Amino acid sequence: MSTPKPPKGYFNILYFASAGSFTSKNVEALPAPLPLSKLFATLEERYKGIKESVLDNSLVTINLTYVDLPEGEEDDASGEGPVIIQEGDEVAIIPPVSSG
Amino acid sequence: MSKTIENAFLTAEGCYVALTSEHLSYQDIIDRVRSPEAGAIVVFAGTTRDTFQSKPVKELQYTSYPPLALRTMLTIATTICAKHALKGIAMIHRLGTVPIGEESIIIAVSSPHRQAAWRAGEEALEECKEKVEVWKREEFEGEEGVWRANRDGAAGVRVDENKKGEEGE
Repeated sequence: MSTPKPPKGYFNILYFASAGSFTSKNVEALPAPLPLSKLFATLEERYKGIKESVLDNSLVTINLTYVDLPEGEEDDASGEGPVIIQEGDEVAIIPPVSSG
Repeated sequence: MSKTIENAFLTAEGCYVALTSEHLSYQDIIDRVRSPEAGAIVVFAGTTRDTFQSKPVKELQYTSYPPLALRTMLTIATTICAKHALKGIAMIHRLGTVPIGEESIIIAVSSPHRQAAWRAGEEALEECKEKVEVWKREEFEGEEGVWRANRDGAAGVRVDENKKGEEGE
């Protein structure tokens, strides 16, 4: 079940559940670095309609840690500087879960 | 993620959490929490139901983000173990195709007395359903499957062919 390493200059993004159905894939490599604040816009550009259908109800992890998405284009609300997705990172789109 | 996941698990003191594509075994899960200091073992089993809002369901498919799901399960297990002073807690979730009527999750907890075990068992299941990164897809007869969401009990997101996103250049 291990995901292949992304090529140099890319990060992996994993699509689970409805995100996987929408994109018709489980994983792909996207160019890094990418500011987290631009992630949804980047995906919407590639998969028209995904933001409203999937992303707006989903959470995001980077390297198995949940991250807060900056509202709109303003980042840096935390005072810690914008989060940048780096080469080699593993990002995941986490739709509402349904175990049990 | 179509590739079958074998058996993945994490442990901490008194805690065992696992994902598997195989049938779940009550005996195995119960034995993992058995303790001479326990006077009670409570076991919960979630089984796959044959209808969703009166529509017949053919089978269920579970998929997961295993490293994250296991980490979340272990956090839940250790928290509940400490909170209720349990002797043991074990949680296992099945992935892949689960035919109707079979177990998709089993949780077992043991404690010196029954009250704590009942409470801990219920709490562990509710926490799992809210947080663990596992997704259930209901397959219906003659129509497209639907990803469920535990959060609101709604039908989840249906992605029709004509709404499907087209990949850009």
